[in-house]
Amino acid sequence: MKRNTILTILSIILLFVFLYYASHHFSRYTIIILNNIAITMILAVSYNLINGITGQFSLAPNGFAAVGAYTAALLSLTPAQKQAMFIIDPIMPFLGSIHLPFLAALIVAGLVTAFFGFILGFPVFRTRGDYLAIVTLGFGIVIDIVANNAITITNGPLGLKGISNYTNVWWSYGWLVFTIFVVMSIINSNYGRAMKAIRDDEDAAVAMGINTFKMKMIAFVVGAFFQGVAGGLLAHLITTISPTLFTFFLTFNLLVIIVMGGLGSITGTVIATIVIVWGSELLRVFDQPMHIFGITTPGIPGLRMIIFALLLILTMLFAREGIMGKKEFSWDWLFNAIKGGIKNGK
Amino acid sequence: MENNILVCEHITMKFGGLVALNDVSLNVTKSSITGLIGPNGAGKTTMFNVITCNLKPTLGNIFFEGKNITGFKPYKIVPLGMARTFQNIRLFENLTVLENIMIGFAHKVKYRLFEPILKTPKFLNQEKEIKIKAFELLEKVNLKEKAYLKATGLSYGEQRKVEIARALATSPKLLLLDEPAAGMNPSEKIALMYFIKEIKDSFNLTILLIEHDMKFVMGICQKIYVLDYGAKIAEGTPEEIQKNPKVIAAYLGEANVKG
Repeated sequence: MKRNTILTILSIILLFVFLYYASHHFSRYTIIILNNIAITMILAVSYNLINGITGQFSLAPNGFAAVGAYTAALLSLTPAQKQAMFIIDPIMPFLGSIHLPFLAALIVAGLVTAFFGFILGFPVFRTRGDYLAIVTLGFGIVIDIVANNAITITNGPLGLKGISNYTNVWWSYGWLVFTIFVVMSIINSNYGRAMKAIRDDEDAAVAMGINTFKMKMIAFVVGAFFQGVAGGLLAHLITTISPTLFTFFLTFNLLVIIVMGGLGSITGTVIATIVIVWGSELLRVFDQPMHIFGITTPGIPGLRMIIFALLLILTMLFAREGIMGKKEFSWDWLFNAIKGGIKNGK
Repeated sequence: MENNILVCEHITMKFGGLVALNDVSLNVTKSSITGLIGPNGAGKTTMFNVITCNLKPTLGNIFFEGKNITGFKPYKIVPLGMARTFQNIRLFENLTVLENIMIGFAHKVKYRLFEPILKTPKFLNQEKEIKIKAFELLEKVNLKEKAYLKATGLSYGEQRKVEIARALATSPKLLLLDEPAAGMNPSEKIALMYFIKEIKDSFNLTILLIEHDMKFVMGICQKIYVLDYGAKIAEGTPEEIQKNPKVIAAYLGEANVKG
């Protein structure tokens, strides 16, 4: 128990030492990818809590990330900036005058998103079945329409520009570590056990006295909070947000990540996020003209996506439950594996 | 009346035009083993679902320890002291045997959501306590060495035991067993019979069970209720039930009675 805690803290320190080195020596491009990995990971880990751990099929992350991004951006922009930006219609007076520091903006963004999660979850979790998927899919579409048309709040299709570039590796990885810690703490408690029980057999969970409505709500609302925060981080990373940024494709990407990592495995999600976000950057070579054995192929834009799809199909063929299945990486597992290796070696 | 832990008064359950239960009354005496039998489709499992509040009866009331529980949310009856098992074993497949048992203690957990995050002493102590209690329970049912195996990795009989142990973890006063001996061979059935009698005494339980196997029911139950086509056709001791012509007719058909 003690040893594992020390090892975990050590690896977190190691991560931050690496980030310190990276922020001083790596190119801007690499730094953005590193940030992207962290933000996507926050989204995916919190998404896995409801989809993988609790087994309720949600399609909400793009909507939640949009709510978080807009909230955080509107709160951190200065009143002067907002006034200059809203050229179609002036901004709502209350939103126009409010101004918060970055951390407060992120937390409020998370809370607002969690509130949306609560409103969505409340009617849906009173029933059973796949209603959640339909309702959350609809939610994403509603948010898109609202973002385009509620011009006094969102500036419509023009989006929000000139958001301060607050997000750096410290912010994104700080939140990432916090997210994973909170999600893991919940999973390794009675709450997490109850959520897994609901996933495996809802009737039996009820027969054990578990309030399934409450557990689903907790998973969904906690997930929504972190997705809102991730949206806020994203807004302050790319500095410009518009409704087109939060299409269903975002949710689809996250779904690919959590299925590939293993539904219900947080460490699997971590690995899959790195593989997919970084991998899709590495595969960019395929979009460019290539020289193989003296033959020059023309650059085919989009070829990397085909290769990406092939890799996904292969993963699913050879690891049907994803990279980690429902297992988690743990230090005990690592030490046992090493011990086993030594024994076999002798 | 006060000797009855469970009283079902004139239960009628209709699904649209289908009458699954028709005016069934049933009492379960404290510290007894009561059986509920009947041919396929007689409404036994429906009766269980009504008792455990998974279904709200169209008519009638259910009293548990004198308290009217009709229309309660099903998860709320567990803290009152009622637990059940299912006809087809329903363990949490991806959890270990230990975790399955620990789920049984879930409704007693008092710590709040932020406590596991802050790792408060209350959280740590309760988790430790649950784990110890779960191990004790596993020891009682002789499955301690299987604690860290996936529930699905166990044999059929062992899975049944885990399911019963999981129900016991909720510390019930009344245990409802839905066809516990289904799919077992004769020697497993005998072992299960002793097991049920044993837990009844050691956990001070009252048991209501559904069963098809006549030998099993006759060997274990003090009182038996017989359902047929949703109606109660007989009640009494095993000897009375065995001689009851209505029961024989329901099980074997009218012609056999005459012949």
